[in-house]
Amino acid sequence: MPDSGIKDDRIKAVNRRQFLGNLLKTACGVGLMGAGLGLYSQKASSLPAAAIRPPGALPEEDFLGTCIRCGLCVHDCPFDILELGKPGDEVPAGTPYFTARTGPCEMCEDIPCVLACPTNALDHSLTDINESRMGLAVLVDQETCIAFLGLRCEVCFNVCPLRGKAISLEYQHNKRSGKHALFIPVVHSSACTGCGLCERACILEEAAVKVFPMHLAKGELGRHYRLGWDEKEKAGGALVTPDLPHQYNLPEGVRYDLQGRGLILEDAKEETPFSSNPLETLNKGLRGD
Amino acid sequence: MNICSVVVRARPENLAAVQTNLERLPGVEVHGGSEEGKLIVTVEDTGDSTMSDTVARFNDVDGVINAVMIYHYGGDEDMDEEVISETK
Amino acid sequence: MKLSRREFIKTQAVAAAAATAGVTLPAAKVLAASEAGDAGIRWDKIPCRFCGTGCSVLAGVKDGKMVANQGDPDAPVNRGLNCIKGYFLTKIMYGKDRLTKPLLRKKNGKYDKNGDFEEVSWDEAFDVMAEKWKAALKEKGPSGVGMFGSGQWTVWEGYAASKFIKAGLRSNNLDPNARHCMASAVGAFMRAFGIDEPMGCYDDLEHADAFVLWGANMAEMHPILWSRLTDTRLTKPGCEVHVLSTYEHRCFELADNGMVFTPQTDLAILNYIANYIIQNKAYNKDFVEKHVQFTKTATDIGYGLRPEDPREKAAKNAGKGKLTKISFEEYAKSVAPYTLEKASKMSGVPKAKLEKLAKVYADPNKKVSSFWTMGFNQHTRGVWVNGLCYNVHLLMGKISEPGNSPFSLTGQPSACGTAREVGTFSHRLPADLVVKKKAHRDFSEKIWQLPEGTINPKPGYHAVLMMRMLKDAKMNCYWQQCNNNMQAAANTNEEPFPGWRDPRNFIAVSDPYPTVSAMAADLILPTAMWAEKEGAYGNAERRTQFWRQQVKAPGESTSDLWQTMEFSKRFKVEEVWPEELLAKKPEYRGKTVYEILFENGVVNKFPKQTVTDSDGNAYENDEMDHFGYYVQKGLFEEYASFGRGHAHDLADFDAYHKTRGLRWPVVDGKETLWRFREGYDPYVKKTNPKVAKGEVFFYGKKGNEGRANIIFAPYEPPAESPDKEYDLWLCTGRVLEHWHSGSMTQRVPELHRAVPDAVVFMHKKDAKKRRLRSGQMARLQTRRGELVARVETRGRNRMPEGLIFIPWFDASRLVNKLTLDATDPLSKETDYKKCAVKVRKA
Repeated sequence: MPDSGIKDDRIKAVNRRQFLGNLLKTACGVGLMGAGLGLYSQKASSLPAAAIRPPGALPEEDFLGTCIRCGLCVHDCPFDILELGKPGDEVPAGTPYFTARTGPCEMCEDIPCVLACPTNALDHSLTDINESRMGLAVLVDQETCIAFLGLRCEVCFNVCPLRGKAISLEYQHNKRSGKHALFIPVVHSSACTGCGLCERACILEEAAVKVFPMHLAKGELGRHYRLGWDEKEKAGGALVTPDLPHQYNLPEGVRYDLQGRGLILEDAKEETPFSSNPLETLNKGLRGD
Repeated sequence: MNICSVVVRARPENLAAVQTNLERLPGVEVHGGSEEGKLIVTVEDTGDSTMSDTVARFNDVDGVINAVMIYHYGGDEDMDEEVISETK
Repeated sequence: MKLSRREFIKTQAVAAAAATAGVTLPAAKVLAASEAGDAGIRWDKIPCRFCGTGCSVLAGVKDGKMVANQGDPDAPVNRGLNCIKGYFLTKIMYGKDRLTKPLLRKKNGKYDKNGDFEEVSWDEAFDVMAEKWKAALKEKGPSGVGMFGSGQWTVWEGYAASKFIKAGLRSNNLDPNARHCMASAVGAFMRAFGIDEPMGCYDDLEHADAFVLWGANMAEMHPILWSRLTDTRLTKPGCEVHVLSTYEHRCFELADNGMVFTPQTDLAILNYIANYIIQNKAYNKDFVEKHVQFTKTATDIGYGLRPEDPREKAAKNAGKGKLTKISFEEYAKSVAPYTLEKASKMSGVPKAKLEKLAKVYADPNKKVSSFWTMGFNQHTRGVWVNGLCYNVHLLMGKISEPGNSPFSLTGQPSACGTAREVGTFSHRLPADLVVKKKAHRDFSEKIWQLPEGTINPKPGYHAVLMMRMLKDAKMNCYWQQCNNNMQAAANTNEEPFPGWRDPRNFIAVSDPYPTVSAMAADLILPTAMWAEKEGAYGNAERRTQFWRQQVKAPGESTSDLWQTMEFSKRFKVEEVWPEELLAKKPEYRGKTVYEILFENGVVNKFPKQTVTDSDGNAYENDEMDHFGYYVQKGLFEEYASFGRGHAHDLADFDAYHKTRGLRWPVVDGKETLWRFREGYDPYVKKTNPKVAKGEVFFYGKKGNEGRANIIFAPYEPPAESPDKEYDLWLCTGRVLEHWHSGSMTQRVPELHRAVPDAVVFMHKKDAKKRRLRSGQMARLQTRRGELVARVETRGRNRMPEGLIFIPWFDASRLVNKLTLDATDPLSKETDYKKCAVKVRKA
């Protein structure tokens, strides 16, 4: 049976993925080591990828200029997630940060860390925690994320405080099994605050969803390009030249749905008063309507 | 015990020579590479030289354009222990 | 293949560098580590031990330990997929606090109710336990002892326990935790069809045009079935999903018509749908005339509380389930008051939504599958509401064919296969037989080779009654297996706990982990888990699945099966049977209960053998080694003789080890997918030789001319509703990540990290009114108890105002301190979904 061959390949493939997953973990630790060894001559000017600033933090350069390293935000965090950079750390000494995998931001509605900041390094104009942009969650590895494999997990989606907005699920047909759906988590930068609750909750040995500082996480579309469907929706209709209704030369039993399915061949059934399913006829019985 | 892997870039025409020269350094093994001039190299501590010292000498090898460390292991465990059962 | 750490690290290092540089190395080098890791793993099939879906997984065992698992790609239910709990199956057996020795409360070297737990030998454990059981039997008779089992028991564990308690000790005080879960569904099946379990199967998920979920959060509780349902919704044009619940849960994300209704008003909505169908003359007249008879049920039946409760005293027909035949016209008149206006007003669901739902059922061209779980079953009118759903399907004839299915989903992996089919309920015997009926007892006694009159005709104490009887010290010994009832039973402080800790009572708990129940017990028996024994489960679509013992249980742990059989050796028949019974079978004199029940020539018929798979791998079987014969096979074959030829046919024992399960009745080696329809179900022709092709015949009820019962039942209010002081509804339930009381899943670090604590879901406005914000701690208080939990106003469940939800997996927050032990008076199943609570800032 050809099945068995396929099965073997699949098992291998899974293991390869697990294997690369393990490597990733170790490879991350390596960057730090490398610096110590002097292989990298210049010290990174930005924060390490895993260090996330508290909500409302100004852009990194301004933040470093404004933060007076008082530690009040750390003190006022009710969940004790914030830490201060220590001498020798890659995070500038005395500045606050958190690590999503071990202690994500719990997104307090009253944002005590911002209130505590005496210098506006954490911007006091941030009053709605949902508007904060600490970083951005990225589904870094679709090969190990078990949702992409068709397993029912969706933990990241479930723990997301802006569930449905910052992370939504996209349903897809599972071609391999033929009768199940995939529940694919998709992060939306329009709503993701970068709190990191998803990264902490990810059930993999190494999280497949990670929060990165915005500049590492986000691509940028060419400034010249617009998304046609978005623009159409904004405009409430075609931007230009709304088409006249289309008419087609079509044989009998065939329709054309311009915006939808295109050519529709209706089953050219032999017309009889009976359904092709005898049960329907039987069950209809003698009802007189 | 330190073990690391390094991607070494060299001019494609010098590749064979670079490989030979690298392998003269203590604790260095070349595992393969690509025709565009990349070599996959592992380095480990030896009695004569620590891994980091060895890697630092890569730049002195003729034909090496640069060397980037990729993976580092720095544990204290027994290197000769059989571990394959841990790798599920 | 062997690798030293140095070689292994190098392989990893090289792979990392190669991947980064985009260099392809000889595959062998890169893959060496991962391939070598799988070398020597023995793979074998085993059903998942969690929910009633019945996914199959492949267990990977190496050096006597389960080290890996994967979804079984050949399994028809899940085709290689798992949910997050299935993903972590490997880890559930290896929690760092596994129990490995019997533990007894002792002081000064002797058993003492107030002592601390000390390690004891199995002999000492059973000596003490047998002494207590014998004393209770002597003082109170058979009703002085009881056993609480599980829908997570293997088939033979349930069967052995049933024999031991019902035949050996002549007590019917045996009940499974399925009482908390499926009893209402069972009651409704028996009342409507006279035979238990769904007529359809999971293939309905692909064949339906519309799905209706009634109090079932399939998205989290039956994750793989939900992914099948979702796929049908995605790929089938015109497919609709209707979801009804008392709050918005994950299924609402897919719903075309999501409806949040006021608790208990599902009774009104279903009667409205029936009324709509009749008013619009949409019902299937032919089907109704041929296959249905109309009845009504006794009303004002109370709430299954203690008889002295004023609510019971006020009930006219407390506990009555009598059906009275009525005409179609009378039925139509009964549902007529349930107009759209009334249903909408009572339920709070907008009229348009209710009408849309009614239309789906009433459309003769739409195939409708209805699914339900605990929302229907854990309901003080659970049997009624299950029945009301059958009413709608029967009026339309939408039943027993692909896609048209009223489908009761089970919660547990073997609620069907063990709890129900084996008959481990306090009123049941195997294959839908009941202790009340003389003919059923006679039949069972014959198979069990017992003298006539052995089986007690009086139903025993059901799960909730056992707690009350312990508290009142009318039952003194209680043995819990495969279960965590101290966390699961309602009204913890007032009912279960005082009974368990009463010095007159002796509580034994068999468990692999130190659960809340174990902590409240007197004796703890360390127990083998799922893959540590040979087993069989039956899922919600009547699929029986077997597995071989994969690994050995740690330390001195033994399986529930071993424990029950071994304990039965402690009783001489003279100690448990009266002389007049023994006189009918003098050859049993001097024998132990074990010898009579298990060395009866049938159970011990199959000699010791090596269990092997198709690749020739050999498997251990600790029970076979210990007892000296193939225990599981003997028990299964004896058990199967109850159902073979009686529409519960199971295949031969060996066949199941060679398949991913078979759906019963299995007749001539063929599975049955849809029951009660000629062509699909061989029993239709057998019971009605004149049946037309493709015709339905409900053969479950003898003397009913092949008809199913439509049973009118009205709306009646719940046992406890919010009032001025306790002003919110409290609903409890589960989350995807954790199984029941969390004793296994909370020991998987990743699952614990994903959902560490039970949070209380509430509406933002309700929180605000109480000066609470999401993330803050709230005190939940009912008339029975209180606890503190974090408020969640966001997240997966969206509450309407006036209702809060809290999951019960969290052992540090015993949610059942809050719940009321009101049950459906017919099914005796607790309503965990409705009681009144107040919430304030903690």
